Amino acid sequence: MVLLVFFAISIIISSLIFLLRKKTVNLILTSLFVATQIGLSAYSFIHKGETDSAYFTFDAIGIILSMVLSLLSITTLYHSILYLNRHTSGIKNECIYFASLVMLISSMTGAYFANHLAVMWVCIEATTLFVALLIFHERSKVALEAAWKYLYVSSIGVTIAFMGLLFLSAISNAHGIKSLDMKQLAIIAKDMNPIYLKITFLLVLVGFSAKMGIVPLHTVTVDAHTAAPFPVSAFISTTLMNVGFLGIFRLFTIVAHTGIINWTNALLIIVGTLSIAMSAIQLLRIKHFKRMFAFSSLEHMGIIAVALSLGKPGYYAAILHIVFHSFVKAGLFYQIGQVYNFFKSYWISDTGNYFKINPVGGLVIILGFISITAMPPSGLFISEFLVFKALFALKHYALACFILFLFTIIIYVFGKHIFFLLYSNPPENKNFETIKINRFETISQFVLFGLVIYLGFNPPVFFTDLIKSAISF
Amino acid sequence: MVSLLIVLYGLTLIYFALSERVNNYVVLLGIQGVLLFTIAFYNLRDINIVGLIFILLETIVVKTFLIPYFLNRVRRHNNLKRVQEHSIPVFYSVLIIVLLLVTGFVLGNQLEVKSIQSKFFSISIASLLSGLFFVIIHKNVFSHLVGYLIIENGMFLLSLAVGNEMPVLVSLAIMIDIFIGILVIGIFLNKVGDVFQSTNIDELSQLKN
Repeated sequence: MVLLVFFAISIIISSLIFLLRKKTVNLILTSLFVATQIGLSAYSFIHKGETDSAYFTFDAIGIILSMVLSLLSITTLYHSILYLNRHTSGIKNECIYFASLVMLISSMTGAYFANHLAVMWVCIEATTLFVALLIFHERSKVALEAAWKYLYVSSIGVTIAFMGLLFLSAISNAHGIKSLDMKQLAIIAKDMNPIYLKITFLLVLVGFSAKMGIVPLHTVTVDAHTAAPFPVSAFISTTLMNVGFLGIFRLFTIVAHTGIINWTNALLIIVGTLSIAMSAIQLLRIKHFKRMFAFSSLEHMGIIAVALSLGKPGYYAAILHIVFHSFVKAGLFYQIGQVYNFFKSYWISDTGNYFKINPVGGLVIILGFISITAMPPSGLFISEFLVFKALFALKHYALACFILFLFTIIIYVFGKHIFFLLYSNPPENKNFETIKINRFETISQFVLFGLVIYLGFNPPVFFTDLIKSAISF
Repeated sequence: MVSLLIVLYGLTLIYFALSERVNNYVVLLGIQGVLLFTIAFYNLRDINIVGLIFILLETIVVKTFLIPYFLNRVRRHNNLKRVQEHSIPVFYSVLIIVLLLVTGFVLGNQLEVKSIQSKFFSISIASLLSGLFFVIIHKNVFSHLVGYLIIENGMFLLSLAVGNEMPVLVSLAIMIDIFIGILVIGIFLNKVGDVFQSTNIDELSQLKN
């Protein structure tokens, strides 16, 4: 019943936010909701493995992603408040923003814990609607275009995934299983017709690629990250991509013990490598900071797809990577919001000399650069190291070298643009002295980057236990 | 009887390719809604009362009345009458739709899963492919919405083909999700029409590197 109560609370809170239309009420109710979400994460951890409200189970992967969601909900709420104070858009739009944010968090939580594939699908489809409203917040032409494209392509993608689930339902029916319960499906998976199982996995992978932000439907995700307000970009570039990952991961756990696993691994390698390659190619002609971070997400999701194809060590690295990427990417998006506050632009050419203008922000940018490019002491270094270790152990030498080559390009492009922002000549006719800096604004980024270092080099036992439990399928 | 209804459904797909009037698209979607209900009604004779109410709600209420009513409002709001931006001539469109129907039936006959009813599977695949084709050949966002709904109708037929017995609660959630999705897409379509002064997809090209 706990999750049903949680959904009821989220619907009541978002409705109240929408109806009451008061700034203070928005803050109080959204904070209350975030507190509830944190409470739910803690509850799920304590009641690990228990089934709730028939269609939900507090399993390890759900708990990990829910904890990430809880932490990023706090930081996103804080940065949303700052953003909305700087970009006044009217109380009605603010209410839509907070109400959508609450419902988005609620739908993502549902998707994380769903044990029935159709229920998970419903929650994922629901996220599309609320994200579209958040992307459209600035009411600009670009925001409208991005929202429309995201809504349309994601809906088509999710429909394709549903087709895959229906197919799975048909082949499980033939084995006497009349439900899309994941545990039951995993038991009979090895007896299923391999060709139909392949079709199912292909459809689900293509469909949820719009959510995870990997090839082939990655373009809408990139556009969405570019046009959304920066706290929303931070949120959807991390937690929402994790939802897409989970959709694919759930089906992967079902096919992992069947005869099609080698085919599945090959498919994931192709999709992952293409995603990294696409990211490297696009980054070479990048001119916009938010697009740069969006294409970086494409790269990291590609790494995760490759990691999933590498057996147990790869699964461990994939989950580690998804957690670290969430924290680092969110931190970078929060800081780029601060950069925008100075330069009033996300275009790279409009920026410069940021280290001198805002030394603390500059430090965050440097830390972010080190973290996102997986240089030590970033935790992403550990996860990528594990990926390459697995690649070499499985004798994928050529693939490993090719990915390393693509990484070199990506690090070069990132370095070039980040150092342009920090040290190039400042743009003319800009008076930076009048811009007020919030002393607490950078704290969230230091915490997130610090956490990535800590969890990478000295992970607490409960964290590694959760990951091990998540990959024990 | 079911075979006749399936043929009629196939004919609506061909008529989608023939027509250029936006109003016809809306009417055709309504007709598809009625056909889907009749197909489901004949196919699910042993259905319980809750299941019947659900099917009635999904096909007659949502697919036949609510969605066409909503689409008509969107059409009027954007002053859409004809779409003349087919990227290929109508004759070839009809030919391709016929080929897609044939493909659907060939695939359906190749299927070796006892739990899948091949006649529904065939028409559902044809509907899914036709919907995708409809989206590809049109440059108008309204037509894209229509294409999406053809795909959704194909999904409904696919769920009949697999005869899946999902709990009513889950099916209801899926239906509400899709319905709200179409409402939101429609609202955004209106916004696109208002802001860009056109519903042509070529106008949506502001997002670049």
